[in-house]
Amino acid sequence: MIEKVKNRGKGLLCVKTDKIVIGAGLYGLYAALLCGRRGESVTVLEYDDAPFKRATYINQARVHMGYHYPRSYSTAIKSAGYFRRFNEDYGFCVHTKFDQVYATSAAFSWTNAEQFRRFCRAADIRCDDVAPSKYFQSGMCDGAFLTEEYTYDAQILKAYFLEKIAELPHVRIVYGARIERLYRDGGDWCVRLADGEMRAPFVLNATYASSNQVLNKAEDGGFEPFGIKYELCEIILCDVSESLKDTGITVMDGPFFSIMPFGKTGLHSLTSVTFTPHVTSYDTLPTFECQKRSEGFCSAAALGNCNDCPAKPESAWPYMSNLARKYLKEEYGFSYRGSLFSMKPILKASEIDDSRPTVIRVHTQSPTLVSVLSGKINTVYDLDNILRGEE
Amino acid sequence: MEKESNFVSAVLYLHNAEETARGFLECVCGVLARHFLKYEVVCVNDASDDRTAAEVREFAAEHPGAPVTILHMSYFQGRELAMNAGMDLAIGDFVFEFDVPECDFDPELIFGVYQRALEGYDIVGAHAEGRTRASSGLFYAVYNRFSGSPYKLTTESFRVLSRRAINRVHSMTKTIPFRKAVYANCGLKLDSLPYRPTRECAKDRQDNAFRRGLAVDSLMLFTDIAYKFAFGMTLLMILATVFVAVYAIAVFLTGAPVEGWTTTMLFLAFCFFGVFAVLTIVLKYMTLLIDLTFKKAKYTFESIEKLSR
Repeated sequence: MIEKVKNRGKGLLCVKTDKIVIGAGLYGLYAALLCGRRGESVTVLEYDDAPFKRATYINQARVHMGYHYPRSYSTAIKSAGYFRRFNEDYGFCVHTKFDQVYATSAAFSWTNAEQFRRFCRAADIRCDDVAPSKYFQSGMCDGAFLTEEYTYDAQILKAYFLEKIAELPHVRIVYGARIERLYRDGGDWCVRLADGEMRAPFVLNATYASSNQVLNKAEDGGFEPFGIKYELCEIILCDVSESLKDTGITVMDGPFFSIMPFGKTGLHSLTSVTFTPHVTSYDTLPTFECQKRSEGFCSAAALGNCNDCPAKPESAWPYMSNLARKYLKEEYGFSYRGSLFSMKPILKASEIDDSRPTVIRVHTQSPTLVSVLSGKINTVYDLDNILRGEE
Repeated sequence: MEKESNFVSAVLYLHNAEETARGFLECVCGVLARHFLKYEVVCVNDASDDRTAAEVREFAAEHPGAPVTILHMSYFQGRELAMNAGMDLAIGDFVFEFDVPECDFDPELIFGVYQRALEGYDIVGAHAEGRTRASSGLFYAVYNRFSGSPYKLTTESFRVLSRRAINRVHSMTKTIPFRKAVYANCGLKLDSLPYRPTRECAKDRQDNAFRRGLAVDSLMLFTDIAYKFAFGMTLLMILATVFVAVYAIAVFLTGAPVEGWTTTMLFLAFCFFGVFAVLTIVLKYMTLLIDLTFKKAKYTFESIEKLSR
């Protein structure tokens, strides 16, 4: 249970729990709730002032069925498997009542209509042909398909997790946590914060884009960082015309776009492969030119929340909207509501096959330091094994 | 000056153009940045084996605001296919096509053709006055004579197309072997503005050979010159066989030919008549088949490299 002890000589309050989870995104809170329900004491350390303020909220909000990965069967089949489970567990936050249309572009697509059909058959996921002319300008798409894919609402999901965690007195979330360093001391990992210290025999690094930054603070960066690149991404929120209200459209697999319902907000998210990423960093730690202009808000050592950053980029709305309009028929109208920015790490190994595996790395055992990196919401169940291993 | 809110794209064809690429980008980006709020430039690198791509990258590095993309073609595919690929990638409401990276015109002319387009012309080109090579001149003379299109083609340096025109062209045919011909036949209003070239342009060898082939293909595909020629020849030969038949009968009635000559001649005349008649029908079929083959595969590209935005 939670123990409070004075740190030797430093005068800082030191809290000892069974587990420390770094990052209050979906992966972090899922782990905290799972362990908390088993009676373990958990401290969640969050950089921002609230949970779900970054990647969990700022993404296309897809509950993936696997359609996105026509060049990686393994990713697709696994997504499809977790899809059902996610909908059973978190159905209350999932918006299902809309037509999700996938289309293959006639030009520049890495996958054509026939290949997409074959892929869906192999992955055993729904794929019903509809006439491309229903949605698209003549000649732009060679195939369009009605699929089964949903969108989740991060705010509803957040409320659920906070409510459930509030019922567990031994699970605590610390906001505004500034981690200075991590070091081993006996059978524990100690996390030194600017204003205190936490220790636990098990630390889970679920910080997504900040994974390498946290690792870099552990024992002077002695652990192998993830091979990732970083993209500063923009999701545009749109009001849409009546005809697009209950329809999500994704043109793939290449330099295209997607416009689909954004959870249960009534808005649509607009993204595009070419214009959603604004700037890219290939460094081990995310290093961007805009950090210099952020007035100390963000650095290569600790990422600020791009969405609140004074140096966030100008919206790519003119580009994304033009790309979408080039494909869509005029009756499918949409207009600008606002932009959300967030940092997205991409495993360098997944460029060719476009796969999105969940990477779990066990850096040390007893005391344990584990990092998890996954780009999809419904693969959160990949955490089960690693958390259960501790029992 | 009020900037235009329409989003425009410029598609540039680059093949071994290391000397001109940079200057041309300066010229195009300069005009577009002056007149338009948002624009993009797509450089189609048609398998250049010199420093063309590097020059474009350097340009983009020097101009962080310029939204430049390079489309790398897998192997040399010639101006028409490469430009088709570039057009497919462009997302503008209006798209400029620059076939040659030579700024031998006043850069403001780029905005001039756009303004002309706003007056209701879906496709507006710009052509150099009095500068046509003899071979090009001959090609266009023959083409215009036999194409049956209301618009006469000329050597154009660049043109602008509205999205409506691009959509129309897409719905007409899947592959576009010769853009200008398809544009001229798309049924929308066209115009071309003349200008006085400020200097002479250099020409590309590999591309020259390629264009000769394209000229022949285009004449075959878009004009009925081949069909007319073959049809004329067939008619001529049908006439000849009929004449031989008449001659054979005349000799049979007036003179005393060698036995069997008349029947042989009549038989031959009839057979050849049949052969040429069948040939005419075959030719008609062939022209129909050409239309169907249009719907086959198109270009192959290697990668799309977005430099900046």
